[in-house]
Amino acid sequence: MAQLTSFSYQAGASILHRVDVRMKLALVAAASLAGLRLDFTALGLMGAALLILASGGRRGLRIRPGECRWIALLLALVFAARALSTEGTPVFSLLGWEISREGLQEGARVSLRLALAFLLGAVLVGTTRSTEIRAGVQWYLKPLPFAAAARVGTMLGLLVRFIPVVFEEVSRVSDAQRARAVENRRNPVRRAVKLGVPVMSRIFERSNRLALAMEARCYSESRTPPELRAGARDWAVFALGCGWLAAMLAV
Amino acid sequence: MSPIIEIENLTHRFADGTVGLDGITLAIEAGAFVVVAGANGSGKTTLLYHLNGLLLPTSGRVRVAGASVQADPLRARLQVGMVFQDADSQIVGETVRDDVAFGPENLGLERAEIDRRVQEALAATGLTRLADKRPHLLSGGEKRRLAVAGVLAMRPRVIACDEPFSNLDYPGVRQVLDQILRLHRAGCTIVVTTHDLEKVLAHADRLVFMRAGRIEADGPPPALIARAERYGVRSPRAAHLGMEALSWLN
Repeated sequence: MAQLTSFSYQAGASILHRVDVRMKLALVAAASLAGLRLDFTALGLMGAALLILASGGRRGLRIRPGECRWIALLLALVFAARALSTEGTPVFSLLGWEISREGLQEGARVSLRLALAFLLGAVLVGTTRSTEIRAGVQWYLKPLPFAAAARVGTMLGLLVRFIPVVFEEVSRVSDAQRARAVENRRNPVRRAVKLGVPVMSRIFERSNRLALAMEARCYSESRTPPELRAGARDWAVFALGCGWLAAMLAV
Repeated sequence: MSPIIEIENLTHRFADGTVGLDGITLAIEAGAFVVVAGANGSGKTTLLYHLNGLLLPTSGRVRVAGASVQADPLRARLQVGMVFQDADSQIVGETVRDDVAFGPENLGLERAEIDRRVQEALAATGLTRLADKRPHLLSGGEKRRLAVAGVLAMRPRVIACDEPFSNLDYPGVRQVLDQILRLHRAGCTIVVTTHDLEKVLAHADRLVFMRAGRIEADGPPPALIARAERYGVRSPRAAHLGMEALSWLN
């Protein structure tokens, strides 16, 4: 668990740590949508600005590149799939596949968008307690007549909280299997099954123990929510964020 | 002193038909320090789970502070705080402070009251300086103390600890033992399950041996300790030498 700090809440004092969760959720949603229309430069600028804001100060968010290797692999696969499947002006040929200029551009654009969405999620989760995310989601769902706001909020909060636990279990089982030379098995499907079954089993066992522990501490959906306060600073950050997004879209 | 926990003819049968507890009758006085010992599978944890309604009896009854656990499990959970064997699974919050606040938040208390309780629980367990740390980065002893702090913030009258010393190194055992003794001195009733008597027996005023879901022996530790190995429990080294059990804190 100690190595998996990029995908879970990190106590800190950056500006994003201190902004009201409702503002953050709104900005994340807006930035994700805006990302669909931004070009390379704007996407790069957005990512850079986000990283600077989140990691600013002595106690800012730390995202370790080594922990992002699986995301990088996913992005590479997306890039390759787009590059290989988009027709256009041929640039070069690879193992009989024609790679086009348009394919490379499209692959890079889609990968960058995905990277931005990932970064937005990581920054939100890293700078916001899951209880706050839960409260924020509940606040947005409250006016909707048929949405079980408390239940949805609780589910989201737990989901966010236990992403690192899933990573941890995968890491433990994977280490134990490597210690018994699982790399000697060439078939990736067989390896995935050998990893997946014990991981799922451990996750279910752990979930069961956690549910008992939560029940023992009187868990219910009607808990004291965190105090949500939006002051001048929060509104200022929100206005700046909206302004920045508008500027990016205009560019 | 009146019993705070009354168990009468408690039987628990699991879904697969296995009998976990078989006709347990036990009364624990308020303020007592009880050690429940037995080999793996003897029913210690199952018994503990009945104290705050995590398991309900197949037959028999459990009462805590005069109220039936079966009728009102929530009330029982307010009276009996449970510290689980696997501290990692018990941790819910992203920071130490959040985790301690989890219980009081579940009770729907006012934020100011929650903050007050969290401060007190952190101070009582010596975790104040770690309040903003991520729980999973704590040492084994600190995690176990955090589990105790999480329970303390709910202000229970009974603390039930399931194998509180498992997987702890020597300093960790001392930290947790010291914590348990402080709580006992503060007036809490303590129930500890263990198969390792060495670490805790010197402080207990009552010893209960379990085997196959039954209570096999119950009484003051000096009177029973010689029979420990009969129940699959290693007796403390001091007992082999004819001495009284020694504290790990000395």
